Amino acid sequence: MKPLRNYALTAALALASTGPATGNEIPYLADTVASGALPPLSERLPSQPRRLQFSEWQEPGKHGGQLRMLMAKAKDTRQLAVYGYARLLVYDKDFNLVPDILADVTVEENRRFTLHLRAGHKWSDGAPFTAEDFRYFWEDIANNPDLSPFGVSRTLLVGGEPPVVEFPDEVTVRYTWKKPNPHFLSSLAGARPLYLYRPAHYLKKFHALHADSKALAARVSKAKARDWVSLHTRQGHLYKFNNPDLPSLQPWYNTTRAPAERFVFKRNPFFHRVDPKGQQLPYIDEVLVNIASTGLIPAKTGAGDSDLQARYLRLDNYTFLKAGEQKNDFDVRLWQTAKGSQIALYPNLNAQDPQWRELMRNVQFRRALSLAIDRHEINQVVYLGLVIEGNNTALEQSPLYRQEYLKNWAEFDLEHANRLLDELGLTQRNEKNLRLLPDGRPMEILVHTAGENTEETDVLELIHDSWLKIGVKLYSKPSQREVFRNRVFSGEALMSVWAGFDNGVPTAEMSPTELAPTGQDQLQWPQWGQYFETKGQKGEAPDMAPAQRLLALNSAWEEATDASAREKIWHEMLGIHADEIFSIGLVCGVLQPVVVNKHLRNVPTDGIYNWNPGAFFGIYQPDTFWFTEARR
Amino acid sequence: MLRYVLQRLLMMIPTLLVISALVFVIIQLPPGDYLESHIAELESQGESVDHEKIAFLRHHYGLDKPVYQQYFYWLIGMLQGDFGYSFEYDLPVTEVVGDRLILTVLVSVFTIIFTWLIAFPIGIYSATHQYSWGDYGLTLLGFIGLATPNFLLALVMLYLANIWFGTSIGGLMDPQYIDQPWSWDKFVSVLEHLWIPVVVIGTSGTAGMIRRLRANLLDELQKQYVVTGRAKGLPPFKLLTKYPLRMALNFFIADIGSILPTVISGAEVTAVVLSLPTTGPMLLGALQSQDMYLAGSFLMFLATLTVIGVLISDLALAALDPRIRLQSGNS
Repeated sequence: MKPLRNYALTAALALASTGPATGNEIPYLADTVASGALPPLSERLPSQPRRLQFSEWQEPGKHGGQLRMLMAKAKDTRQLAVYGYARLLVYDKDFNLVPDILADVTVEENRRFTLHLRAGHKWSDGAPFTAEDFRYFWEDIANNPDLSPFGVSRTLLVGGEPPVVEFPDEVTVRYTWKKPNPHFLSSLAGARPLYLYRPAHYLKKFHALHADSKALAARVSKAKARDWVSLHTRQGHLYKFNNPDLPSLQPWYNTTRAPAERFVFKRNPFFHRVDPKGQQLPYIDEVLVNIASTGLIPAKTGAGDSDLQARYLRLDNYTFLKAGEQKNDFDVRLWQTAKGSQIALYPNLNAQDPQWRELMRNVQFRRALSLAIDRHEINQVVYLGLVIEGNNTALEQSPLYRQEYLKNWAEFDLEHANRLLDELGLTQRNEKNLRLLPDGRPMEILVHTAGENTEETDVLELIHDSWLKIGVKLYSKPSQREVFRNRVFSGEALMSVWAGFDNGVPTAEMSPTELAPTGQDQLQWPQWGQYFETKGQKGEAPDMAPAQRLLALNSAWEEATDASAREKIWHEMLGIHADEIFSIGLVCGVLQPVVVNKHLRNVPTDGIYNWNPGAFFGIYQPDTFWFTEARR
Repeated sequence: MLRYVLQRLLMMIPTLLVISALVFVIIQLPPGDYLESHIAELESQGESVDHEKIAFLRHHYGLDKPVYQQYFYWLIGMLQGDFGYSFEYDLPVTEVVGDRLILTVLVSVFTIIFTWLIAFPIGIYSATHQYSWGDYGLTLLGFIGLATPNFLLALVMLYLANIWFGTSIGGLMDPQYIDQPWSWDKFVSVLEHLWIPVVVIGTSGTAGMIRRLRANLLDELQKQYVVTGRAKGLPPFKLLTKYPLRMALNFFIADIGSILPTVISGAEVTAVVLSLPTTGPMLLGALQSQDMYLAGSFLMFLATLTVIGVLISDLALAALDPRIRLQSGNS
């Protein structure tokens, strides 16, 4: 048996607080408790709540207040499932996995996972949260031919095989695979996690196996659903957070049904976390989500209409927001984003044109293109000089960061670039001083963009100028996102532009899948990715040694059993990327403006704003944010 | 007359069928379908998508069927009062549109009244004082309103209203009233926000109306009967309102056909900029995400209103102006 990293500390603390924590009753709920509609605090908390450890910048707060946020669409309600970030396991602020909803998890041989629930844990409607909720999901949803006609979700398969799932008692669930499943725990902690449970007591009334058929038919026709499958699916979205009747485990639960212009999230009286003083979290009573159009959100935020806002704000709103700080009582902070690269160029190694394909596959050519980009100029002109120049790789915050990964072939050196191209035999030039391909065509590269922001085209304009100096002409072609993808897949596009790695702050324990040709959506090798995804039915097998090596390393990582082996694999993969320049990263560490009300406490000054791992605010536990007297 | 009405009603059926086919085809024209737009949106923020799940959804929404089958499914549903299902909201279309209609009608009605209040006096004044300074000045004002892009004017007014009056930016009321029942405070809050869209949308409509009223009225004012009336000593105001103004109103009645759908749709661009909870932004969003039943059904609804509106204005014209003849195919 191998306990989870960093778990020992949490367990010790949980044990230290023997018995349920008993703070005073929360004012917001006091009336309901007094009337008898809600049990007292001691009966609402699990017998062992998760007692949080505060960092030095966090301080215990007081209950109360309403947090206002702005979102652009009704379906953004799912952001509250992200910010809430109550998961079976979560990443802590240092990106280690720790149990959250679970009291404990034991791992044997990386293939047998025993999840221990908290005794007495309850859903937001007060019904017990037990192994039955896991059984219901596994047997009645994931393995139900009507609800899951395509079988168990791929994320739960290892080598094509589902796990054996056992339910030894009320608070224990065990998943056993034949082979190691290194993705399992981290997928439970995702911003959009793998949900292994559903509120069985609520959803059974929509399930043909459990509900009375007449009553079910009446419910289906009342909801104007096509059949019970569609009704069950609609009512049971834990992530979409759009059904006010669906019980939740998050700190706040939705009380408003779409369509609406304002969604009210109320505190979950049965939430399982307490602060170091034993007060039940969240501190804030209600979260109000107002819907406004994307373009107006910066303006509304600047006018003080949001207490905590980062979504839909961009770095170029910074000066405007800063101007409203004094008048409207808020603070504009700049957080790090954690993409491998804000913008990266992707040479298409599966391009249709044979001559271009050969060039794109030539590492000297890719290096020359990278060397001929003046990243410093891009930084100064487009990003106010606030970002980090370099390759698409792990950022400085990641334990896997090395300077050479960031800087290899990323300095601006036209002479070197020209020399590389000359060595490739591309010495012929036309009257406009453009180099010629062996068949006499001028070297003109059409870079496709998804056409969604001007940032990309601005940057391409700058690259255009410096590439001219090595005799390569760049054209940019904005299109629409689906068209863009299809052009890259088909190999029609020679080069495309998109963001870099989704996870720029990896640890060795996180999957390196993104670095190997494993998905059709990887813009430098869509065909190879498709080959992997479809297990060889479609696409092409990778035929370049470094790409094959990346694939081999990816599977080696999955089978590796100790941390040092994984770390070694990660470094080799990052090294290959830095050396081969499979994507030409430009700048990273673009800052995200975060607007925080002056009276809101426990929001870090410097943070990382990332989707996964991070869940945006989730990793900083918004349930610990609280308002000072002035706003309660 | 009855025969004419019947004929017109029968003609509406093929018209609407053609419109429905057009609407459906045009919505289907962009590459991909709702699910592809949806996947692209999820992936743009790093969410991964389970391809099996997508296949399930595609089947679930009937998107795996051929286009003509989807079309007939939708058409037959509409005839039975089922307007289909919005993928984006995960709700029947009627429920999505529901609440927004009231606010849209509210904005539109106020806008129309505002337009009339401005355009009528100016139009009459311009016609009766042709080529005077007043005529030129007011016409210029109308043209400025027409020529200023609505979205720009909207943004400027939003900003100024926020700075000067502290009105919250965008929307039709302060956020705290949104889910509250109607009350006096809520009504006041709505009025505080309503004037911006009304003025912005209204200013662009006044110029056209001023010009048409002025032109029609000028035609009438030069006719013999006006000269005769004036010679016989009719008071000028009575002379103006008794005949020429009434004659000049024909265009106004003919406008009903186009007013009816605008009352429901609101001005889309302005509504998007101002973040109004009306149907315009909803329609735009539905078209962008290829939420085809929501977009299709709403467009069909507008088309039906247009067809009905045109019929009403034709009938009203015939009733009001005996000079207009019914020529139902046997001329």
